Amino acid sequence: MDWQPFYVTLKLAVATTGLLIVLAAPLAYFLAYARFPGKSLIEALVNLPLALPPTVIGFYLVVFMGPKGAAGRVWEAVTGGSLLFTFLGIVVASTLYSLPFAVQPLKAAFQKIDRRLMESAYILGLSRKATFLRVIIPNSVSGIAAAAILVFLHCMGAFGVLLMVGGSLPGETKVASIAIYEAVEAMKYREAGLMSLCFIPISYAFLLLVNRLNRGA
Amino acid sequence: MARRSGCGWVLLLVSVLWLIPGSVSAQERLNAAVAANFIQAFTEISQAFERKTGVKVEATFASTGSLYGQIANGAPYDLFLSADEDRPGHLNREGAGERPFVYARGRCVLWSARKDFCRARDWRTALRGDEVKRVAIANPETAPYGTAARTALVQTGLWEALKQKWVFAQNIAQAFQYASTSATEAGFCAYSSVMSDEGKKGCFYRIEEAPAIVQSACILKRTPHRASAEAFAAFLASPEADAIKARYGYR
Amino acid sequence: MSLQIRVRKKLRYFEIDLDFSCPDDHLLVMIGPSGGGKTTLIRMVAGLETPDAGRIAYRGETWFDSERGVDLPPQKRRLGYVFQEYTLFPHLSLYDNAAFAAADRAEVDDLFARFGIDHLRGRKPHQVSGGERQRCALCQALARRPRLLLLDEPFSALDVVTRRCLREAVKGLREGLSCPILYVTHDINEALFLADEMVPIVEGRIDRGWMQRTIAPIPDSEEAPLRATRQPRLALVY
Repeated sequence: MDWQPFYVTLKLAVATTGLLIVLAAPLAYFLAYARFPGKSLIEALVNLPLALPPTVIGFYLVVFMGPKGAAGRVWEAVTGGSLLFTFLGIVVASTLYSLPFAVQPLKAAFQKIDRRLMESAYILGLSRKATFLRVIIPNSVSGIAAAAILVFLHCMGAFGVLLMVGGSLPGETKVASIAIYEAVEAMKYREAGLMSLCFIPISYAFLLLVNRLNRGA
Repeated sequence: MARRSGCGWVLLLVSVLWLIPGSVSAQERLNAAVAANFIQAFTEISQAFERKTGVKVEATFASTGSLYGQIANGAPYDLFLSADEDRPGHLNREGAGERPFVYARGRCVLWSARKDFCRARDWRTALRGDEVKRVAIANPETAPYGTAARTALVQTGLWEALKQKWVFAQNIAQAFQYASTSATEAGFCAYSSVMSDEGKKGCFYRIEEAPAIVQSACILKRTPHRASAEAFAAFLASPEADAIKARYGYR
Repeated sequence: MSLQIRVRKKLRYFEIDLDFSCPDDHLLVMIGPSGGGKTTLIRMVAGLETPDAGRIAYRGETWFDSERGVDLPPQKRRLGYVFQEYTLFPHLSLYDNAAFAAADRAEVDDLFARFGIDHLRGRKPHQVSGGERQRCALCQALARRPRLLLLDEPFSALDVVTRRCLREAVKGLREGLSCPILYVTHDINEALFLADEMVPIVEGRIDRGWMQRTIAPIPDSEEAPLRATRQPRLALVY
């Protein structure tokens, strides 16, 4: 069995999780605490990937990241290369695709923190940013961990988006889910079966971990 | 009170919707699994068939590999129009399909959305150009058009030489999509796609080194509409259908 | 007068309209029925809420002035604030909590000794009792050398015995402290025990008649005693 697609999948999942936790935390903070008109509009926008079929997301990403799209053109101007069909391209795609899976648990974790803790920090002289880093984050560790695991699992299962955006390049964008699909198409059922079998224990183990963390919170 | 009658209306509506499709269409319907590249030709042929016989033929267009997978697992199609000869052959040997017959011969071309792509001496030179960074090719393991393209590339020594340029699409339609949205500078597509409106916006090279793609079809044994299926199979070989196929580059 | 407060704020059911001041070294108790606006007032002094109009100044430094558009954030006011709960950070030990914004770490040790929690310095807040937590909260606030100390019903969640002890501790505190203390409570006994001056707040306004109505005055007094001294002229209801 070819292990390379699994390696790509894991690399993608780790990269996306790391990137997303860093990006989603301020966004979740904003949605948890700030009050302003139009907040529900932004929240709905963040949750959009939950409602859209992955192929729709993939379709628009191809347009957006392609040489004619806004992101693609900027990227080409800055680096001279293309964003599509690269590992970075699928990281961007899976980050957008998994965004609500990071923002929602983080927002819930932040909201569980009593307001008075933050106020206590302000009175003791901490700025909003310092409070976020030194008080809110340390007190939502289990929520952050749960968000990270959910994003990781969701990435491992990404298929439709990556099918459109990845180009299935072996070793770079050919993830395990696509490899299984192609094996089925090529009538290599045994290989497809083996690969599928490997997914189950990994995913199950992580889900048990999520459960543990949520209970410990 | 209003609430209860509201519920009643909803239930009535749902049950009506549920029952309607089965009862209203007395018209016979065929379900065909059709290879993605044959989409335009098939649409015209099925419309002509419906006008002649009143039998509607509905098609699912997808890559040959996924259609085969569905059929092997019992999907209720009446006909299978593949992009290769292998799969209908398999189905016949497994006892799921009748004897296959060739319904079209397609050709693989190299298409680009940019007209200046075709100013080079031949397709090999065009591919070697530096401004051509990515070229879409349907997965050679699963899509017959991709296999044909790869054969041509291997034969001309370009398969290994230009390895970093290949981007793999899941099927020939996706390869065309990559090329037409300029996600890739060019793509190996079916000749039929260059005949479409979208295809006419670009330009293409014929690839003599690529073997013709022999597309076979078969009637599936489990079909409940055998007579209509056979009529359609016969229609596929008729001069009227041939004319339509020719317009899309099939022989 | 050190602390001068003049604020107006429209709340859901009534409007806060207060104007009073507090001298240095005074422990001023704000008392009154629940929901009367006492907590909102103290939060406005801290900078956690914004009045609609008015002025809050401490020793000449303007913290809030609606006319001139001044609104100093709580970080800059250098206060101490003890909430009823959730003052301490759950992820830090008691010592780290108290030392969080301490001006001088050595003082933290002194404070811990004074409040009798030195043996608990390594424990986390959820590992100690409510009374011990509030002692630590006091240390945390005092370690900062605050210019003003705000206490919002700090002992209401504790049992009677602990409350008595802590009350004594606060009274003892008063001796050594040079800054004003604003204390919010709805417990009359606590108020009478601690206060240098009492401000009864009812529905957002100072109601000097409230004391009279709630506590039976000694028959020969004619005016409602607004200042409860160390020998109050009211009948004690301990």
